[in-house]
Amino acid sequence: MKLIQESSKTKIVNNLIVGMLAVYGISQKQFNLSEPSLFHQVVTEVISPVQEGLANSKKSLSSLWDNYLSIVNTSKENNVLRKQISRLESDLTSMEEMRKENLRLKRLLTFTDEQPYNKIMAQVVGWDSSNEFKVIRLNKGTKHGIRTMAPVVTDHGLVGYVYRATENYSDVLTILDQNNRVDIVVERTRTHGIVEGVFNFKCALKYITRNEPVEVGDKLITAGVGGIYPKGLKVGMITDITKENFGMTLSIEVVPSVDFDKLEEVLVLTPLDSGKSASILPTQSPVIEEKKI
Amino acid sequence: MKMRLSQLLGSFAITIALLTVLEVVTATVLPALGWYEYRLTFNVLIIIFLAIRLDSPIVPWMVMSLQVVHSLFSVEGWALGTFAGLIVMTSANYLKEVLHLTSALITMLTVQLFQLIWYVTVTMIICLKISNFDKFGMIIWSFIPGSILLSMISPLLFWTMEKIWRVPSEGGPRGVEI
Repeated sequence: MKLIQESSKTKIVNNLIVGMLAVYGISQKQFNLSEPSLFHQVVTEVISPVQEGLANSKKSLSSLWDNYLSIVNTSKENNVLRKQISRLESDLTSMEEMRKENLRLKRLLTFTDEQPYNKIMAQVVGWDSSNEFKVIRLNKGTKHGIRTMAPVVTDHGLVGYVYRATENYSDVLTILDQNNRVDIVVERTRTHGIVEGVFNFKCALKYITRNEPVEVGDKLITAGVGGIYPKGLKVGMITDITKENFGMTLSIEVVPSVDFDKLEEVLVLTPLDSGKSASILPTQSPVIEEKKI
Repeated sequence: MKMRLSQLLGSFAITIALLTVLEVVTATVLPALGWYEYRLTFNVLIIIFLAIRLDSPIVPWMVMSLQVVHSLFSVEGWALGTFAGLIVMTSANYLKEVLHLTSALITMLTVQLFQLIWYVTVTMIICLKISNFDKFGMIIWSFIPGSILLSMISPLLFWTMEKIWRVPSEGGPRGVEI
């Protein structure tokens, strides 16, 4: 009896200690910026190469699968020929993939000429494993010059900003995330608003008053205020406008210009003077200076 | 049935390794295969198993450790899930007399119930943190498809976990006392 009581007492004490630690952890947690702990940095550096390897093997895996499917049910006489065809097809697929990659990189490079920033090209190696956060992991980190709060883009437009970075990897809070708010301007009407992530790979445009002449199809670009994103980056397009019977603002749905389903390579923009020795967190304020060449 | 410390450490190490593999699958393999929209949060499933099937004062610490592993793959961090895990554990404690995972269907329904408790807790904390309760329904809704899939997988994962933790599968409310 005494033993059972003691065990139950230990349970309560453990629950209380862990509960208090968790409450403290929650109170300290920031969903829009983070400095990784030493433990996090070390383990991420160990695990992320596995993620990178798996992300890179995507093409070979699908090619292997295609080859397997094409070989099943073939007669012995055709095996040699089929294998040859498969090999050629596989080569062709690889070449086609390379051609597409070249095209994407070329477009990125053309796009980057317009941006007065250091551009660091990085590959997407993973997504956040929780439902409520839309975060991607890149295969470049502080060693390559990436710093927190740096904007991340593709030739199609804005992806997000660097939320945290270790030496070789960094996590990007995309514009699909509810904790990321982007100051935007409607290109046609120059109306200011805020784009917030909702879910289902869509965003919401907020604080647009009912009398603003915005329309479905209007394009949104970054306003350049807030200190994170440079001005003029494509953010998305209005796809639905709802005028409720109440409230002062419109309910607007936005589809991002970046196709997050097909995101493979991105560019991280860092200020021109930010060298590889850039600190993980900005020392004074998170504002990134925009310096032109 | 009592468990020795060495057995416990071994089982826990395997659980951590399993969680790491499943997190890599969720964060990298599934998105690489075109599965972007919904995440399979295996950490929730593993913690629900520990909460329901183990009877030990150190389970809260195990929950915290598993959440630390999860935080390597998610910006969610360890604290939010640890808190939700404690709520699930407390709920499981109150329901222990009626929890008998005797069939796959009951396991799925039980897991769905505890996932709901987990997600309501997590969503409430997120809404408090971002000071915006308008998003409550939307965030909860975003969990539903993934949670249904997880519930469907749960009998298989629970079977695996029963082997790892050497819990008798006919299942009383508490399989192993540590």
